[in-house]
Amino acid sequence: MTVFKTFWQVVNKYKATVILYTVLLIGFGGLNMATNETGTTFVASKPDLFIVNEDKDDELSNNLVKYLEDNTTIKELDNDEEKINDAIFYRDVNYVVYIPKNYGKDLLNDKHPEIKIKSTGDYQASLAEMMLNRYLNIQNTFISSNKNVDDIIVNINETLNKKTNIEVTSKLDTHATTKATSYFNFASYSIMAAVIFIICLVLSSFHESGVNKRTIVSSMNYKKLNRNLLLSSLVYSFIVWVFYSVLGLIMVGDILFSIRGIVYMLNCLIFTFTSLTIALLISTLIKNKDAVSGIVNVIALGSAFLCGAFVPTKLLPDSVLTVAHALPSYWYINTNELLSSMEVINMSTLQPVITNFIVLLGFGMVFIIINNVATYYKRNIVKKI
Amino acid sequence: MKKIIEVKNLTKEYKQVKAVDNLSFTVNEGEILGLLGPNGSGKTTTINCILSLLEFQKGHIKIFGSEMTPDAYDLKRQIGVVFQEVAIFNELTVYDNLDYFCGLYISDKKTRESYIEDAINLVGLEKYKKFYPKQLSGGLLRRLNIACGIAHKPKLIFLDEPTVAVDPQSRNNILEGIEKLRDGGATIVYTTHYMEEVEILCDRIIILDKGRILAEGSSDELKELASIDEKITVEVKNITDKVLDIIRKFKNVDEVTLNMNTLTVTYKKGKNNLEELIECFKSNKIKYDKITTEKPTLNDVFLNLTGKGLRD
Amino acid sequence: MFGHNFKYSFKTLLKNKMLLFWTFAFPIILGLFFNMAFSDIEKNETLDIIDIAIIDNEYYQENEIYKSTFKTLSDEENEEQLFNTTVTTEEKAKSLLSEDKITGILKLTENGPLLTVNQSGINETILRYVVDEITSTIEVTNKIFEDKVAEELMNGNKQIDYEKLHKEIMELVMNNETNIKNVSNDNLSYTMIEYYTLIAMSCLYGGMIAMFITNYKLANMNSVGKRVSVSPIHKGSMLLGSLLASYIVQVVGLAILFLFTIFVIKVNYGTKLLPVILLSLVGSLAGLTLGVAVATLVKSNENTKTGILIALTMAGCFLSGMMGITMKYIIDKYVPILNMLNPASMITDGLYSLYYYDTYNRYIFNIVSLLLFSLVMIVISIRGLRREKYDSI
Repeated sequence: MTVFKTFWQVVNKYKATVILYTVLLIGFGGLNMATNETGTTFVASKPDLFIVNEDKDDELSNNLVKYLEDNTTIKELDNDEEKINDAIFYRDVNYVVYIPKNYGKDLLNDKHPEIKIKSTGDYQASLAEMMLNRYLNIQNTFISSNKNVDDIIVNINETLNKKTNIEVTSKLDTHATTKATSYFNFASYSIMAAVIFIICLVLSSFHESGVNKRTIVSSMNYKKLNRNLLLSSLVYSFIVWVFYSVLGLIMVGDILFSIRGIVYMLNCLIFTFTSLTIALLISTLIKNKDAVSGIVNVIALGSAFLCGAFVPTKLLPDSVLTVAHALPSYWYINTNELLSSMEVINMSTLQPVITNFIVLLGFGMVFIIINNVATYYKRNIVKKI
Repeated sequence: MKKIIEVKNLTKEYKQVKAVDNLSFTVNEGEILGLLGPNGSGKTTTINCILSLLEFQKGHIKIFGSEMTPDAYDLKRQIGVVFQEVAIFNELTVYDNLDYFCGLYISDKKTRESYIEDAINLVGLEKYKKFYPKQLSGGLLRRLNIACGIAHKPKLIFLDEPTVAVDPQSRNNILEGIEKLRDGGATIVYTTHYMEEVEILCDRIIILDKGRILAEGSSDELKELASIDEKITVEVKNITDKVLDIIRKFKNVDEVTLNMNTLTVTYKKGKNNLEELIECFKSNKIKYDKITTEKPTLNDVFLNLTGKGLRD
Repeated sequence: MFGHNFKYSFKTLLKNKMLLFWTFAFPIILGLFFNMAFSDIEKNETLDIIDIAIIDNEYYQENEIYKSTFKTLSDEENEEQLFNTTVTTEEKAKSLLSEDKITGILKLTENGPLLTVNQSGINETILRYVVDEITSTIEVTNKIFEDKVAEELMNGNKQIDYEKLHKEIMELVMNNETNIKNVSNDNLSYTMIEYYTLIAMSCLYGGMIAMFITNYKLANMNSVGKRVSVSPIHKGSMLLGSLLASYIVQVVGLAILFLFTIFVIKVNYGTKLLPVILLSLVGSLAGLTLGVAVATLVKSNENTKTGILIALTMAGCFLSGMMGITMKYIIDKYVPILNMLNPASMITDGLYSLYYYDTYNRYIFNIVSLLLFSLVMIVISIRGLRREKYDSI
């Protein structure tokens, strides 16, 4: 009981750190999960656009603007080149269209006026460019055969109104599952950091040579002490898991009150356990308490970046993913990714998830074995001295 | 005699506590002055005030006859301080630490080198020049701490409890070193709560408690203040209650106690007490051996003045 | 005396492993992580080739426009290849779709084309746009054809060469070139911001070195500080020597980071080398003064001070986009006042303006802000630094 109490007293001393990791998780979660649309009808992706129209009184120009307004999201920006450039750089808008003065008139006079654009060169910009191209093509075609502005506009709009019928088959609310996955992916960083950091600090406080000697000479059985420390660490990790799961329920919502949610949380529990085994191993290996924060940052941040906790795995280079297979976080995150797109959950679809579980537990076992070997050697060295 | 330090009416208050209360004393050239008092009696605060590290509410401090201020660099050059806590760089070796701190006083490299050698010899760290602090034992660290404070051969040295938590060998080494410094002409202010050290070392002693001077004088003068003057302990074999009563009735005797075979007799005043006691043993045919006589210690003085021990 | 102090400050710094880890190694490790995580993001932003299936029925076989368009767009040799098309049976297509092997199925019916997709997304939207475009091209052709025929008939021409007319119109529609000119700035790689925040972090972490040095000079913070205070040396000159040493260590660390980012992870700092160097020197100065300020103003032990400095640095980097580049833009756009207080964002924005802009206005503004920041830090810590007597130590 004494060991248990002391353990919590030391944990209490470092609570600021745990709070920090939690705040990071909430902040990140809040930022990333602010997706709102759900549902199973088709919603076209709309690129973000900004239009600088210097030909405001012309019907042809205005019709182009109207078309763009209907099919893209027009961003509010000051008409200031620096602001526009910033907006392009930070992908606030994907595409900027500059309609020059007398554009409409020049068109009718076959002067082939030029439209300037700025583009981020990404998906959304390509889409915007396709739209603009399509409009200009139709417009130019009609102009070359007919110079009556009203006819041209009617023709253009009629043509553009034809939209292809589209059917959406999937019944899975991917927005909600993506949200859950991104929460649990980021949680891998917070959990790992909170578990490793605290347990390493607490255990190294107990292992510090002075304290260690004192406990060895005390009337408490050394093995019992270690057992109690292990138990305390286990309870601490469990509390971390419960805490982040509850936080997940609050932040992600409904989707987690289901079998899918249980699998998410089970995955998280196993990962927390593996993190605990890493923490135990590190606390055996390190000599210096000061080194803990450095090691934790490198391991937790490294796992998070390499395995896709911050950046979705599909955006990571293949070489990085290959390396990531050697890290527990990869298998944890892989399960989360599988869950986000899994339509039906049953024993056969869960097969790869179960494989991931086994791999994660395997990692845990390996760390425990290495830890035991290291402890054995360490104690023998102590005896020799 | 030249006055090296003059402290007049020094008062230093922390938020609620009066740490130093209207303190006045002087330190004379060439002497070792002991500031003796229990923990929290104001010794360190007094020194920090003298060194102009602390602001104080009232009082004047003169060193070598001039006012002490933070920018009195000419005064500071002649002062060496050994702080209570080990004040060294953990990142530097023993030699580099000394070179750095000595270098703050002595800019000539050759002089500095020879001074550092002297300091190292003085505290006996010859074998450890290349060591880093974390490789040194507590006692050696204390010695390094002292060496760093005195390497520049100051005329006035403050030693603030330099022997706290030090092994006996290092302690002797340190005490010898301090005597050598005095012999080299330095004036020393020495604070401690070990009265044995003060008794051996100091020419003059000031006993402090709660920021005030309780008593001042040489070791012997102070002992006059104690209520007892001599304590005789004898191993006796066949003493009787009757003989004890006889002893109790001697003129100077304060108290007689018998514990197993050990008889302890304390006297209020000195002179011929032992002779009288032995006479008594002889006449009553009492076998005795192992006689020790003790003079009172400063602890007894302190006990007498405050009703509590120094280390309470 | 200056040299003496300088030498030993240097020695002390180089022995402190924790300090060297955080100021030298950590930014490099973080840079490596950034590189691994972000190197492909921008590549992934350009269009992938979209896998689709077209159902092989009579409507498709008879529709030359669809056939030829999808053939061109699926041609592997075409630079603008957009699709990878499988023409197959309805069953096969559906099973491909349910396995997520394709983005969507195109089926031509008598009522026009029908698309089937799994979800709403960018690839789905593009597929739909292509089909829309084909539809509208057909529409345009038909419309002009009708107009032309009506026109010819009005003119009394009854012997219309429909085939020729059709060909003419097709040519008109197909060879229509739109006149669009891209005037975007070069250097649009926004992940560079991540590395710029890294430089900012490194500059500010340098404050830890200055703080470590300053602590040793303050009698109320450190026992060595007391020893230094009772020595006959003017505090100012001593501090200056030590801070110069810490500045040099800091700049060396930064130089290593620069070399690492330029040669190993290929970060692009634009073409203007000297301004980049000037910016990092000034940025380091801001870090140094921040460290001195924390050391003098915070009355606490060294661990707490280090904690505070790390927290300030990380908060600054967060606001300048380290944990998400959007954050920097949001601050720039909605709360620019925060940038006036945040040295990390001044450094990041300075590097960004050198990389992205040709003009120097914004860069100079950032340099001036950093200098002002440093000045303010010095002014607020000067009282603590000059202080020689304390209420308690």
